[in-house]
Amino acid sequence: MALSIDELKAAILKKAETAPKPQLYIKDFYTCDPDSKPRVIKNAANDLVKEGKMMFWSSGSTTMYAMKNRIKDEEGAGGVN
Amino acid sequence: MAKHETPLLDELEKGPWPSFVTDIKRQAEKNPDCWDILGQVELSYKEKITHWKHGGIVGVFGYGGGIVGRYSDLPKRFPGVEHFHTVRLAQPASKYYSTKHLRDVCDLWEKYGSGMTNMHGSTGDMVMLGCRTEALEPFFYELTHNLQQDLGGSGSNLRTPANCLGQSRCEWACYDTEECCHHLTMHYQDEIHRPAFPYKFKFKFSGCANDCVAAIARSDVAVIGTWRDNIRIDQAAVKEYIAGNIPSNGGAHAGRDWGKFDIQKEVIALCPTDCMWMEGGELKIDDAECTRCMHCLNVMPRALRPGLDQGASICVGAKAPILDGAQFATLIVPFMKVSADNEFEELIEFIEKIWDWWMEDGKNRERVGETMQRVGLPTFIKVMGLEPIPQHVKEPRSNPYVFWQEEEVEGGWDRDVEEFRARHAA
Ligand code: HEM
Ligand code: HEM
Ligand code: SF4
Ligand code: SF4
Repeated sequence: MALSIDELKAAILKKAETAPKPQLYIKDFYTCDPDSKPRVIKNAANDLVKEGKMMFWSSGSTTMYAMKNRIKDEEGAGGVN
Repeated sequence: MAKHETPLLDELEKGPWPSFVTDIKRQAEKNPDCWDILGQVELSYKEKITHWKHGGIVGVFGYGGGIVGRYSDLPKRFPGVEHFHTVRLAQPASKYYSTKHLRDVCDLWEKYGSGMTNMHGSTGDMVMLGCRTEALEPFFYELTHNLQQDLGGSGSNLRTPANCLGQSRCEWACYDTEECCHHLTMHYQDEIHRPAFPYKFKFKFSGCANDCVAAIARSDVAVIGTWRDNIRIDQAAVKEYIAGNIPSNGGAHAGRDWGKFDIQKEVIALCPTDCMWMEGGELKIDDAECTRCMHCLNVMPRALRPGLDQGASICVGAKAPILDGAQFATLIVPFMKVSADNEFEELIEFIEKIWDWWMEDGKNRERVGETMQRVGLPTFIKVMGLEPIPQHVKEPRSNPYVFWQEEEVEGGWDRDVEEFRARHAA
């Protein structure tokens, strides 16, 4: 049984908070619920961005998802202006 | 921002060619930040290493694409390019702009950015080069609210839909490329602005095989106009071309005397499928063999015209070198009706079938063409629910092995080993 949208969003946030790397590909969230279609997971992740709970992070050619606080920490340490 | 000494860059102003160095110097007179572009590039030429940095959090709220983050790694030395983000703007169908709109966009970019542009980038979008992070939101606000102009694409998104002039100016267009591109662009706004895929995805639309937007080289799904029935031949006009009364190629090569028009040499002998000949003073075409390459139509546009049963061929999987080398798109559907009457239903269904598969099976940063190559064309064709057809085959096979699917073998993979051994002792 696929997770409900709210359960799915919670699983996505958990993953974004606990994954070893702060930036995640959309594909990395597919494991949050193997029963949900990729496009459903994409929509849930994009909703979380619209709600301000996650943000986009760009490598320059690929867009990834991240929790804001985890990126701040990293960029502070890395010295990005 | 002060001027820097740039002896190496100054070399690039010599000679008869236009020079980006001259352009940047001219812009720097207006916007002194631009001196730091020259300063930083000069340093890179000297040290043979780039000082641009890639990536990070840049974007406008709610959009995951359209802005490519760039920073200087020497912000103290070159404060004018401390942030130097690239903003892509969506191109309208066929790149039809009013001059007023272009001026407004340039004015807005002078206000918020470096004032430097690239019209258009090879990806297709209009490119605004260089602005600070804090300028992005106000620029975006004015762009969308005052100029009704959207950001273009970047990231793992649907990017840069583009189409040829199509029926707005070209008699060869076999479907309405503008309507099709516009419709799909509006239909897939979410996919354009927010990441959805393992990597970038593009579709582009050409009205015929001349492929003026180079869809076959630049897009994951190339929609290229073609026809199913026969080339329309006006034999009287053929005779006029032969007699030299109508200039070949619409007069495009009239700048030099190439001698008398020779239909045998310039048309028939250059037909890639060898399907044309003259008979009793008339031009004949074996349309079953014709690949609709457009060559003969280009040479004699008044004598030869596309057939009337028009649609498009769909090719999938072009890309620039990323993981593997560059590749052109592969023909998947030789003919599809492409019509606004059913809101491009068939095409949309086709595209979404690719997405559903690629989103699951594509690896991160793998283009559709690379996923196809990895699994092989037979698997891709099956995924798409298509039957293999001769048009999928490039050349006769040289591999002697035949791989059977279980359903093609009587009794499947299960067999009675006892029964086999009874006939065939180990
Ligand atoms: C260290 C030992 C071996 C090495 C490095 C080796 C290497 C190879 C290589 C490189 C191929 C060509 C594969 C291809 O491109 O199709 C091949 C094919 C083959 N080898 Fe070996 N081999 C070894 C041992 C053996 C042994 C012990 C046998 C039989 C008892 C054997 C039987 C075959 C057969 C039948 C083929 C042809 C398979 C085909 O064409 O599909 N090989 N081997
Ligand atoms: C009178 C006895 C045999 C004859 C006349 C014979 C003949 C052949 C021929 C004509 C080929 C195909 C060569 C080619 O064009 O690629 C072949 C391949 C082969 N034979 Fe034999 N063979 C004999 C016995 C054997 C035996 C006893 C063995 C193993 C115990 C054997 C193992 C193979 C293998 C492994 C291949 C390669 C198959 C492949 O690459 O697909 N053959 N043989
Ligand atoms: S691709 Fe074909 S239809 Fe489109 S503008 Fe070029 S020649 Fe005309
Ligand atoms: S369109 Fe191309 S393949 Fe067809 S008849 Fe003309 S030259 Fe030959």
